[in-house]
Amino acid sequence: MSNELMIIRCRLGEREAFAELVRTWHDPVWTYVRRMLSAAEADDVAQEVWLAVFRGLPRLKEPARFAPWLFTIARRAVSNRLRVEYARPEVPIAADPVVGDAVDVLLDRAEMIVNLSALPVIEREILVLFYLEDLSLEDCAQICAIPVGTVKSRLSRARRMLHDRLVRKGSVE
Amino acid sequence: MNPEEMYGRLSGHLSLRSRIGAVAALVLGLGGAVFLGALWATEPSLRAHTHVAFGMLEITCLAWAGFGTWRIARRTPLYALDGVIAGGLALASNILLMSGVIVLAITRPGWVTVAAAAFAALMVATSAVLLARARARRAVLLRRRHELENGE
Repeated sequence: MSNELMIIRCRLGEREAFAELVRTWHDPVWTYVRRMLSAAEADDVAQEVWLAVFRGLPRLKEPARFAPWLFTIARRAVSNRLRVEYARPEVPIAADPVVGDAVDVLLDRAEMIVNLSALPVIEREILVLFYLEDLSLEDCAQICAIPVGTVKSRLSRARRMLHDRLVRKGSVE
Repeated sequence: MNPEEMYGRLSGHLSLRSRIGAVAALVLGLGGAVFLGALWATEPSLRAHTHVAFGMLEITCLAWAGFGTWRIARRTPLYALDGVIAGGLALASNILLMSGVIVLAITRPGWVTVAAAAFAALMVATSAVLLARARARRAVLLRRRHELENGE
């Protein structure tokens, strides 16, 4: 069943469609929430996300754009728990050296997951959305409410931070 | 937590009964408050404890109406089917209310019963519009579902 069809059926009030929606999207939501928060908070926040999704579904304008809408809600729920971390000023982007494809190769998915928790929330979030959730740059920009250029800069900085961490651990040279 | 466990946690919030219950609380609470208010205001020479009883009933009706409003506004989403059921429920109960208030206006003429009848007529009109909009919105969604299911 396509996402759009699932959303339309949910908006019609079909209970099986709600179950299908949760079955399809719970893992991506939980992955995002879990990478951003502790295990103790993840289940409750994931539930908050789903309740907000169900409340918001009747007003969802573009069912085909469900994924960015869902992650915008998830991000709001996470940022409510991480107000202090999100308020931290970002390192000026111009000062960041650009880390290109060579580092992408190093970003083995499993290795990234292990090391994500050491990164600040802003950088961790963009890596989770782009690499673990496979969202496009445009979707990441919509979810984080920032321009696409800023998404690219954050990704570059996040990759650099991750790379530096791996170098320190001796995982890469 | 796996998807089934999460759905289990959420299923209580997705009950049609609870959503329609919120609508029923609002509609019946508001209708009851209007009818009792008209009855109370036009009842001649009541004793003090009857005033208290009317006041308590009025508060109860308004509390239910407030609870229903809060549920719909903040907690309970109304999906397309719910909107149609809620619109039908509101229309039926408001027609009943209007009939009762009109009988009251005939048997106890006065500005209070006329105002109550006018308010009930407004509620009937509003619920008819809401029902029509809910049916139209559901028809659009059903058409889109049909298109998607048939790959159009």
